[in-house]
Amino acid sequence: MTRPRPSTDPLRRAVALLDVRWRRVVWAVVLGTLSLGSAVGLAAVAAWLIARASQMPPVLTLSVAVVAVRAFGISRGVFRYLERLASHDVALRGMAALRANLYTALAQGTPGSLVGLRRGDLLARVGADVDAVGDVVVRALVPAGVALAVSVGSVVLVGAFLPAAGVALALCLLLAAVVAPWLSARSARDVEARGAAARAAMTATTLEILEQSGPLAVSGRLDARLDDLRATDRALARVTDDGARPAGVAAGIAALAVGLAVLASLLLGIPAVTAGTLAPVELSVIVLTPLAVFEAANALPAAAVQLHRSRQAAARVVALLDGAADAPPARATTATRGPVPGEAADTAARDDGPRDAGACGARASLTLVDVAAGWPATGRPVVAGVDLDLRPGRAVAVVGPSGVGKTTLLATAAGLVPALGGRVTLDGRDVTALAREDAARGVVLVAEDAHVFDTSVLENLRVARGDVTAEEAEATLRDVGLGAWLAALPDGVGTVLGPDATTVSGGERRRLLVARALLSPAPLLLLDEPAEHLDAAGADALVRHVVAATRTARDQRGVVLATHRLSALEAVDEVLLLGVPDDAPDGAPAHVVARGTHAELLDVPAYRWALDQEAAAVG
Amino acid sequence: MKPLDPRLLRHARAARGYVVLTAALGFATAALVVAQAVVLASVLAPAIQGTADLADLGPRVGLLAGVVAARTGTSWAQERFALRAATRTVAELREQVVTHAVALGPRWLASGRGPEVATLATRGLDALEPYMVRYLPQLLLAATVTPATLAVVLGLDWVSAVIIAVTIPLVPLFMILVGRLTAGTSERRLVVMQRLGAQVLDLLAGLPTLLAFGRARGPERRVRALGEANRRATMGTLRIAFLSGMVLELLTTLSVAVVAVGVGLRLVHGGMGLEPALAVLVLAPEVYLPLRQVGLHFHASTDGIAAAEQAFAVLDEEAPRPGTVPAPALAGSTLALHGVSVRAGERDVLAPADLDLELRLGTSSGRVVALTGPSGAGKTTTAMVLLGLVRPDRGTVTLTAPDAAPLDLADVDPSTFWRQVAWLPQRPVLAPGRLRDVVAGGLDVTDADLDRAARTAGLDAVLATVPGGWDAEVGRGGVGLSVGQRQRVALAAALLGDPARVPLVVLDEPTAHLDARGEQVVLDAVRAFRDQGRTVVVVAHRASLVHAADDVVEVRPGPLDRSGPAVGTAVRPGEVVEVGEADEPGEPGEPGTGTTPPLVPAGATTERSRP
Repeated sequence: MTRPRPSTDPLRRAVALLDVRWRRVVWAVVLGTLSLGSAVGLAAVAAWLIARASQMPPVLTLSVAVVAVRAFGISRGVFRYLERLASHDVALRGMAALRANLYTALAQGTPGSLVGLRRGDLLARVGADVDAVGDVVVRALVPAGVALAVSVGSVVLVGAFLPAAGVALALCLLLAAVVAPWLSARSARDVEARGAAARAAMTATTLEILEQSGPLAVSGRLDARLDDLRATDRALARVTDDGARPAGVAAGIAALAVGLAVLASLLLGIPAVTAGTLAPVELSVIVLTPLAVFEAANALPAAAVQLHRSRQAAARVVALLDGAADAPPARATTATRGPVPGEAADTAARDDGPRDAGACGARASLTLVDVAAGWPATGRPVVAGVDLDLRPGRAVAVVGPSGVGKTTLLATAAGLVPALGGRVTLDGRDVTALAREDAARGVVLVAEDAHVFDTSVLENLRVARGDVTAEEAEATLRDVGLGAWLAALPDGVGTVLGPDATTVSGGERRRLLVARALLSPAPLLLLDEPAEHLDAAGADALVRHVVAATRTARDQRGVVLATHRLSALEAVDEVLLLGVPDDAPDGAPAHVVARGTHAELLDVPAYRWALDQEAAAVG
Repeated sequence: MKPLDPRLLRHARAARGYVVLTAALGFATAALVVAQAVVLASVLAPAIQGTADLADLGPRVGLLAGVVAARTGTSWAQERFALRAATRTVAELREQVVTHAVALGPRWLASGRGPEVATLATRGLDALEPYMVRYLPQLLLAATVTPATLAVVLGLDWVSAVIIAVTIPLVPLFMILVGRLTAGTSERRLVVMQRLGAQVLDLLAGLPTLLAFGRARGPERRVRALGEANRRATMGTLRIAFLSGMVLELLTTLSVAVVAVGVGLRLVHGGMGLEPALAVLVLAPEVYLPLRQVGLHFHASTDGIAAAEQAFAVLDEEAPRPGTVPAPALAGSTLALHGVSVRAGERDVLAPADLDLELRLGTSSGRVVALTGPSGAGKTTTAMVLLGLVRPDRGTVTLTAPDAAPLDLADVDPSTFWRQVAWLPQRPVLAPGRLRDVVAGGLDVTDADLDRAARTAGLDAVLATVPGGWDAEVGRGGVGLSVGQRQRVALAAALLGDPARVPLVVLDEPTAHLDARGEQVVLDAVRAFRDQGRTVVVVAHRASLVHAADDVVEVRPGPLDRSGPAVGTAVRPGEVVEVGEADEPGEPGEPGTGTTPPLVPAGATTERSRP
């Protein structure tokens, strides 16, 4: 992709990513100018024709004008059609390029910028923003170019007959093409800036009412929330109403400019005719031509508003890119090289061939030394001082209360987020210095909020490995307890899941993600809360299955499970209990407060107590 | 699809006033357009013929200036009030859609229509703004300016009037013709376009996941291919869609040219005077202008009309009528489910299936009833049925007061019933306000009561960390509390309620987001509710809660008996399948030949890593 030159205007930078071929834009402007020029030509020639005809000359002297009028009548529509096709083609090419460039930039950038909270929402909104940036071509640049060309041409035409009238027309055009659009854009900007808070409140209230309609109704607060919705809508209406003032003035100015141009031509032209400096036929032309000229200028208020909208959208797109771009320098170099450390390279080369991870992944090892983990945005560690050694065949659980930082620790261990302290190494190499593909060949994280794609079940599993067969997929799904679910699917693994897997329940989704993890060729797996949203028996069975599946002789793998449920952990080799000591100051990061096998930790009071709570009713 | 749906006027008061104003402005504009043309011709004709100078024409130029001023005023007023009316109309429709969607119930919202309604209410209805601000005024101008100017042309020069009168019907005729010819193609392509666009967005949204698997670079080519396919599909649509625009432009401009030439030739032969000729020349484009503008803003109109129709579709759905019989005092009453079955979403499963459950409320000893069963068995749905939020597809829910006939819960006025119920959903939402007021819930309670409830609900630990303690502002715009913390607040609030007036407590999956220690808090609270003499229904996932229960009810799913009585009105069958079928094989630019193209090309990673 082309690296945009650093610029302060986000729109400029985003437009650079559209990969626009400017020759196509110029061609669209030329076609647009020919179209509107035809309209102006039609008006001017018709005005001349009628004035001249009233002098009753021989008909033959009018034949050229007659042909010209008819030709202009046809060419206008034809050129307009061609212009619209040309400008939309430019815009669509631009949107496709921007989407692809954006994807590439984000795919190559720091994963940490994407692996944070709510990034999914942000990415989901990108589609509309890309369209808004692309629209700048069709709705702002081309109309502006056409308006400029047509205006200059008309001013020259009128000025050629009577210079003063040309100047008057130019001034009126400035009013319509500069002042009115400026006011319109200001109105749009004001409404947006001042309405943003009201709009956000409206959206939040609407979503809350719809999502929590049951609880709100039962607790008797529904009517109060509907009143809140009405109040935010009233606030929004007030802001829009204020913004409508400059917009109204702009519309008035646009109408006024045409009238003024005609009046000025009359006031300047009639004395000139009386004085004999202007032919009577030419008076007709300079008075009637302006009526057609302003069509181009009148498209500009909308263009100015579009420019503003596109700039807002561009700012969001650029912010996303900037977030991804501050990659550590090491990445840029490793991203282009092929071989991978140790045996992982072999796995990589045969990535999509039949998997034999047991043999080639056996020596992969992930080592955490005194690691401090935290989200890059805050820079503050939530977990610190973690040592961990993971090899194929070994299962480790990270436990601790909700919010203690298990997810952050796992993202750091996977190399998706840089460690804030200490070292994370994969086969002896710093994991964040490895290219993403290379790191993922060794260690894979399945996040709690991992995406389920709007495609078939099989393709969703193939995210882990491209050559998963239908039989493999079915077997793995049955292994993770989705047998009944699979049997109920209309097309088996070929069933399309729908956008964001809204048709899949929370528990099914977790099991699907675990199946995806198990199908990954990586010798080391990090699973975040694999058994959340499952009932006790189901959760424990799933955890035991995951551990067992990574210990078969053919398929030895290392696995780290982050969980807050302890009952099934006798299956793992080591348990790390994270917690914040009671005497620690506010905001202190969590530490490993105890570690050992499940049996050993039973002597630790906090662990024992937590386990007893789970186990109390089972026995 | 009507250009101006009467339902819009019926549902939105702001739209009614606006249409009246716009129509009035349309008549004014028509008069001004005619006046401008006639006065301009009366100034220009003598000037061209050299029969008058500026001094003679002064009054008429002054009149023209007046007309220009008046047109400026109407343009201003139109724009000024259009935006205001549009915003209010959107607000009115939004409120109605949201209110009605809520009345349709949580099950309807969960059936897949929920996200649709959310999008419509928050963003979709905004499409009405261009429709109302741009399209509607032009539509009304087409109904006023076009006939008025045509009538004036008829008075000035009947030949031109005939030419125009003949071409005007051709405009809609050709547009309908072109539209008919292209409708099928465009709609099919539109589906393809939307799908291609959605796939790119889906890949972008799933990028973090692809990164985690190291598979992010594979789909790059697919994103480009999808973009290119999207462009080609869109251009194909536009080539046809813009045809109607071209026909419109061609007809209108060409007929203006024909009128101008005809008038010119009649002038040469002395068939008409210069002044009417000029007036006709100025008026001819004005006849067509509103029609052209209507065509120009046609797409704005379709989006707006589509949004409005979506809103009307929601509003036309029949909401279950809420009951009207005031609920009896729940304390001492019995709430019973008999053979209750609810179809689970779009699946051929009943969850729960054929469930019987009898709850005696407000007995002095209190009671804890745990609902258990595998995930997806319908435990939460059962809780919703008990609350009257979901009506069962089969079976009955009855509320029986002592010494009274059983009442169908559907006939009970829900607000009188809910007042006697405390519900703690999976993710409680707090009313905004001071923590103290939120927990007290309008009751007059002492600090000691507050502190005791806080201790039982584990809220004391939260209070210690929240700045401001009891005086902290929570809810929207206040301190952000985690789900677990909100749960404790909700528990404490429920504990403070009067057990005699609120004898039923429903807790849904209260342990899903808690660690073992947090779970103890819930256990303590559940016991406290029982000690207060309340009946507690717990949707239980974990054994600890099941153990604490007096009764355990296992909720079981069952197969949907297709031959049985009609079940599940909220079901939209086959939606998942439809998406797959819409997939046209061999779509341009889609790698792979199967019906589902691969997300990540199988060979992508291998190729790149080959040394």
